[in-house]
Amino acid sequence: MIDHLPVLLVVLPIVGAAVPLVASLYTDRAGWTIALVTMLGHAALAGLLAREVRTGGVLSYAVGGFTIPYGIELVVDGLSLVVVLLISAITLGVLAYARHAGPHENTFYSQLLLLVTGLTGMTVTGDVFNLYVFLEITGLAAYGLVASGREASAAVAALKYLIVGTVGASLYLLGVGYALAATGTLNMADMSEKLAAVGYDSTLVLTAFGLMVGGLTVKVALFPLHTWQPDAYANSPDSVSAFISALVSTVSAYALARLLFSVFTVEFLTAVPAARWALIAVASVSIVAGSALAVSQSSVQRMLAYSSVSQFGLVIAGFTVATPIAVVGATVHLVGHAVMKGGLFAASGIIERETGATTLGGYAGMGSRTPLAAGAFAILALGMVGVPPAIGFVGKWYILVGAIETEMWPVVAVLLASTLLTLAYFARLGERLYFAEPTIREEGAVADGGEAVTDDLRPPPGRDPSNASVSTGMLVVVVVAAVLAVALTAAVPALEQLLTETLPPLLQ
Amino acid sequence: MSADEAPGLYVESTIIMTTVRVVAPFVLTFALFIMFHGADSPGGGFQGGVITGSVVMMLAFAFGIDSTRQWLDVRIVAALASGGVLVFAGIGLGAIALGGQFLQYNVYKPYYYEASKYGIELVELGIGGIVASVAIGLFFLLAAGFGYVTGEGER
Repeated sequence: MIDHLPVLLVVLPIVGAAVPLVASLYTDRAGWTIALVTMLGHAALAGLLAREVRTGGVLSYAVGGFTIPYGIELVVDGLSLVVVLLISAITLGVLAYARHAGPHENTFYSQLLLLVTGLTGMTVTGDVFNLYVFLEITGLAAYGLVASGREASAAVAALKYLIVGTVGASLYLLGVGYALAATGTLNMADMSEKLAAVGYDSTLVLTAFGLMVGGLTVKVALFPLHTWQPDAYANSPDSVSAFISALVSTVSAYALARLLFSVFTVEFLTAVPAARWALIAVASVSIVAGSALAVSQSSVQRMLAYSSVSQFGLVIAGFTVATPIAVVGATVHLVGHAVMKGGLFAASGIIERETGATTLGGYAGMGSRTPLAAGAFAILALGMVGVPPAIGFVGKWYILVGAIETEMWPVVAVLLASTLLTLAYFARLGERLYFAEPTIREEGAVADGGEAVTDDLRPPPGRDPSNASVSTGMLVVVVVAAVLAVALTAAVPALEQLLTETLPPLLQ
Repeated sequence: MSADEAPGLYVESTIIMTTVRVVAPFVLTFALFIMFHGADSPGGGFQGGVITGSVVMMLAFAFGIDSTRQWLDVRIVAALASGGVLVFAGIGLGAIALGGQFLQYNVYKPYYYEASKYGIELVELGIGGIVASVAIGLFFLLAAGFGYVTGEGER
């Protein structure tokens, strides 16, 4: 049983995703319970896996019992373990939020569990083609979830996401083809040895690197390739934006790191400085452009979305610097960003429900009207800027130290500038929330409530009369995210130890 | 129903109906043929599933989308989709229960001598069911147009 943990983590949500389909023949409200049971199982398995990796080190699993370089291998080391735990925790949080916030359809929970399958699969796989398969599962489930919003704009956003995302995945697949042509293998560990034997400066290897990394940067949404992301985040239902903003790009960034360290290895980055600098350049441009775009937004959710473009630039820069401390920093920021961004989207959803505010102007003076959600929002925003006790500070600090150690001064400059830029848009929000006169009148909210009651006779499809209300579960999720944003700092030493124990083979 | 709303969308044609009636069994057989040959020759669940789905689309074009929707029980489609997943997972997890790895077909050998071959066949059939039901579900949903909410059944 214990040996089979990696594969069970992937199979469980697939089976869970199939059950709501049958259940919907009898009731349309069974999805949440099924998803909850599945995810509790997932969390238990992830917990067992954590114990196993901490005591036994890296875990490897041969699917189908085929000899390893030929069959599909699943590998769990410190880095993937952290991401698996993150997936489990965030999904449970999103379920608590979606219990009241909806969508309530069974199909929504089917797709959610399929997305969890894809994300977990991407995290535990040790095979570059298998990674592509799970990348596609993740992508398809995410497109469907974005489209589950009832507005037409959600459909447009999903279509855009579909087209751009498919191009990204296809680029990655093309890169896998080149890598296969160069090495004749798909297993990550095997491929990394054979790539070294082929020679890092061979055109095939360089092309494979460019295509695979390029494809994944589309999924991560780094600057010039981010166009799908703000629409997808801002137009989907709140539960979905919290979920995909916290996990989808995060796991893609993890896959990019896995590719850098387990397939191409740090020696490749050292041997081909052009590749390293190209990736650093993309990441740096992403940091600056993402922040600049975020500052210019008036819609809060779009601002949060562009903020992700910038923060993922930071994470990728950390991974590309590739010193142990920078990698720890990037991982910390990866996890921290997921918790904080998910929390911010959830909080913005609550603020919208309670006050109707969705824009920077609308947020004015809302701090007193939704004290809990606004307070959590402010804490999470400060954490994202990198104010010391929060996890956002630790991640940025470690990446910065790594960049200084390797004397990559342009990166250092960009990192420092990015903090200022992040402050620029989040400080503005904080100022509006607490120190500005309200622009939305209390009566407006009441009138909205009244309208909702009269609409009760014929509620629009998929939109509950409860749409304007906020449950305790939703508030708890946001508050827990805010607490975690600070409390996770205490877990950094343990994470650092875990990574240094399992990553040294990757970092020389 | 949609035939009334959008006249000209469905035209009853003896030629098409007769042709489809003759061709459909062969296409379905071909789909199964493709699925069963996934293990040792080109083909498999994905291709076979799509062909199975195309049989239903063909019927819909010949006999009208709405009458086909009524004829085809939604329970069958849902059972195909989730049954396929459960067959796949069941075979995989059964191997674990017998002490092998996930999807390690040869642990079934003591119980059936050609377990490896037919294990793969069963998985292919499962995949075929999933693909077919999704193709059918998507077709009916697209045909229904925007704003049609089933409230139940496949997405």
